[in-house]
Amino acid sequence: MSSRRAPRGEYIETDTGNKVARKATLVGTQNIMLGGKTVIQPEVMIRGDLIRTAQAPSQAAAGAAPNNTAVSIGRYCFLSRGCCLRPPGRPYKGAFTFMPLRIGDHVFVGASTVVQAATIGSHVHIGSKVVVGEFAIIKDYVRILDGTIVPPHMVIPSFSIVAGQPARLIGEVPEGGIDAFELRDLYKTVGNNPHPAPV
Amino acid sequence: MAALTPYTFIQCPCSDSSTLGRPSDANPAANATNDDDEEADEDNRTFDPRAPRSNFSLYPLEYLLYCEDCHQIRCPRCVSEEIASYYCPSCLFEVPSSNLKSEGNRCTRNCFQCPICIGPLAVTSVETKPDPSLLAAPDNAAAPHSGPYALTCSYCHWTSTEAGLKFDRPNNIHAQLTKLRNGGLTRLTARERRERRKDPAYRAHLAAAAAVAVAAASEDVDDVEERGRGPGIEEKESLDVETQFANLKSFYQAQLANPNSSDTGLTGLGDLGFSSPTSLSRIMSIYTGGSLRDKKAKSRVGAMREALDADEGFQPARLDESAAIAALQAHGFDGTSSTAQLAEQPVNIGEPAFPHGQAHFASDLRPVPHLLRTKRSKRCPVCRHIISKPEAKVQTTRFRIRLVAGSYIPSIAIRPLALSPIPNTSSSFSSTSAPIPTSTSASASGPAIPGALLEPLRPAHFVLTFKNPIFESVKITLGAPAHTPGRFSSKVTVLCPEFQIDANTDVWDEALKEGLATTGGGAASGERDPRERRRRRGGTEDGSQSGINPTTQLEVGKIWERGRNWVSIVVEVVPPSLSTLPSGGGDSGLPLQEDEDVLEIPLFVRVEWEAEMGGDEVGSVMPGVGGSKEKGEGREKRELAYWCVLGLGRIRR
Ligand SMILES: [Zn+2]
Ligand SMILES: [Zn+2]
Ligand SMILES: [Zn+2]
Ligand SMILES: [Zn+2]
Repeated sequence: MSSRRAPRGEYIETDTGNKVARKATLVGTQNIMLGGKTVIQPEVMIRGDLIRTAQAPSQAAAGAAPNNTAVSIGRYCFLSRGCCLRPPGRPYKGAFTFMPLRIGDHVFVGASTVVQAATIGSHVHIGSKVVVGEFAIIKDYVRILDGTIVPPHMVIPSFSIVAGQPARLIGEVPEGGIDAFELRDLYKTVGNNPHPAPV
Repeated sequence: MAALTPYTFIQCPCSDSSTLGRPSDANPAANATNDDDEEADEDNRTFDPRAPRSNFSLYPLEYLLYCEDCHQIRCPRCVSEEIASYYCPSCLFEVPSSNLKSEGNRCTRNCFQCPICIGPLAVTSVETKPDPSLLAAPDNAAAPHSGPYALTCSYCHWTSTEAGLKFDRPNNIHAQLTKLRNGGLTRLTARERRERRKDPAYRAHLAAAAAVAVAAASEDVDDVEERGRGPGIEEKESLDVETQFANLKSFYQAQLANPNSSDTGLTGLGDLGFSSPTSLSRIMSIYTGGSLRDKKAKSRVGAMREALDADEGFQPARLDESAAIAALQAHGFDGTSSTAQLAEQPVNIGEPAFPHGQAHFASDLRPVPHLLRTKRSKRCPVCRHIISKPEAKVQTTRFRIRLVAGSYIPSIAIRPLALSPIPNTSSSFSSTSAPIPTSTSASASGPAIPGALLEPLRPAHFVLTFKNPIFESVKITLGAPAHTPGRFSSKVTVLCPEFQIDANTDVWDEALKEGLATTGGGAASGERDPRERRRRRGGTEDGSQSGINPTTQLEVGKIWERGRNWVSIVVEVVPPSLSTLPSGGGDSGLPLQEDEDVLEIPLFVRVEWEAEMGGDEVGSVMPGVGGSKEKGEGREKRELAYWCVLGLGRIRR
């Protein structure tokens, strides 16, 4: 996450192609993993400081170095202005602990959306002003429309289109609609020297 | 009013009944007489996107599939689906189809939805405060909780204890729930019920309970909690739907086997004659022409009696609704269950107080086991070839076959075109220097702002970008009515109705170009840069469109812009004024209907290309629309034609 270039653009572009807005708030950056080519727009907040305090028993037994990743994000994700990624937390063996938030590739998070999911798959589109409750599990190729509230612990299977408060299935992603989740082109349209969207 | 983003809907050929059947299906006699009419029809026929029927045939491109054998578009309405696998949308376990018959179409694991809000329910310990944040993650079960347990909604905080449902174990909730009635009483399975009825002690208990119930019924029962619990009338006769049906069925079968039964339970009905097998067979013989008349039947006497007790499936109607009225007075309308909530409730849920799932009060609703979902493959309705087939495994998202229309027919993107309010010179728009506004960088004026209202009676321009997905160059011919159908008719001019789009070249070419553009920085050439886009003069000139055009800077018959595998053309529309209602016609006086202010133009698209010869082609199955082809040496001409609707925007009222 070291900035390579000197020019004071709106974005810091990293070696792995991440474009992180200078006005984004990333707390606990050492616990935030970015897969590369991810766009983080201004006013985005990622709570990397909310790390797991209780270790999984297998890890403790193995004596391995504690894995402190709080938020991991895959490639070609797009975090829109004002969204917030926050690891979910719950009591575990009598103590409260956070659990990591894992996000796959090509995940779009809309503006002013709050995500507290446990896992989000790849090729997921989350609209704006959405709340994804704690420990929700969102599989691949899911579209969450604007203003949806996904209740905590909800599981959303692949190819679902959900909307409403609480979220309910309103349709299925059609066969011809799965290419639209691709975010490579969107990635190019932002940054310090953006390219226009292709035709 | 929400801004309208331009859209393109495509009409599937299945909406046209004349193209659905094979050619032989058509009646030749009718064809001969109406031939001239039909042909004239065919030419003049325009498509009205507002016709009620159109609602069912218009789809966005991504919803359409394509049959490679018929060379035709297929839509969700006409494809036939086959279920590849069933799975629970919550636990994502696949359910074998053999289990469906025995266990129904709902998940039999611990997957439940809230009956109030459909949120997911999780198992919580009743002893600790049922806080949904403490819920059901798997390792939570290891925590030293003890029963009883309840299901709690993580969204609205409903808990099953509100319906009096508590569970002894945190697992296998589904099995526990089927044995639990609201209020916590056990619900007997059919076998248990049969065994219990044989128990003399139980019969004695029933008789005593009946006496109590009679006494209780005279009092005013206004305690709702008492309704399900007291050993009242419900307890005495209550059967769940399955048991009642089974009892009735076996009773009537016994009656039919023994027609001489003179033990008439209801003599009054017996006298009417409808309950006797004799009269039944007489009635049957009327409808079967008398030939099947059983002579012996006449000699048979006696009548079928009706069921008399619960063993025979007899259930008295519950006419005492005082408890329900009292509850309604106590809880009001908000306490009742909504239609949507009732629809979510599975039928035969086993609660005798409302045997058909018709819980009147929200407090009677039970947790809803998740309905299973399916993965489905799709077949062409005409040739039965599979055109979409997902991997059956629930967790994979791959497809074995996926023939989507988007990889066969051109996509049409719409964007408003910013023409400066005061046209400068005619050269400014035919020169290559004019920058094309694209996406967010477009700081255009007036109608070019996406979603802006269209000004009535003022020409507006839209750029239609056709992108060719196939590896052959295609020729596109467009047809649009000069005036859109409907009460408020817009003038439409397609400035370039005929053009050629180059082939969608190899993916590697594209990748290489992209690589150049990104490594070389902004100065590198390539179609990514709007300024570098070539603007060829129109590919094919069309003389018929050479009428006087108000916007002189736009050249008729010329392509607006062209790229590797795409072509942009301009459409000019003059929206009508919505304030002046048209005169004449039956419905002219009606006020503006919903979405009548949306400017939609029907557009007929004909795509022609040359393709490699396929193997066994059945393209000729679709006359007129399908692939008509002339055999050449290894190449054949293909043609595809369809209507689509372009939604351009809303007109200012
Ligand atoms: Zn169809
Ligand atoms: Zn399940
Ligand atoms: Zn709820
Ligand atoms: Zn076919």
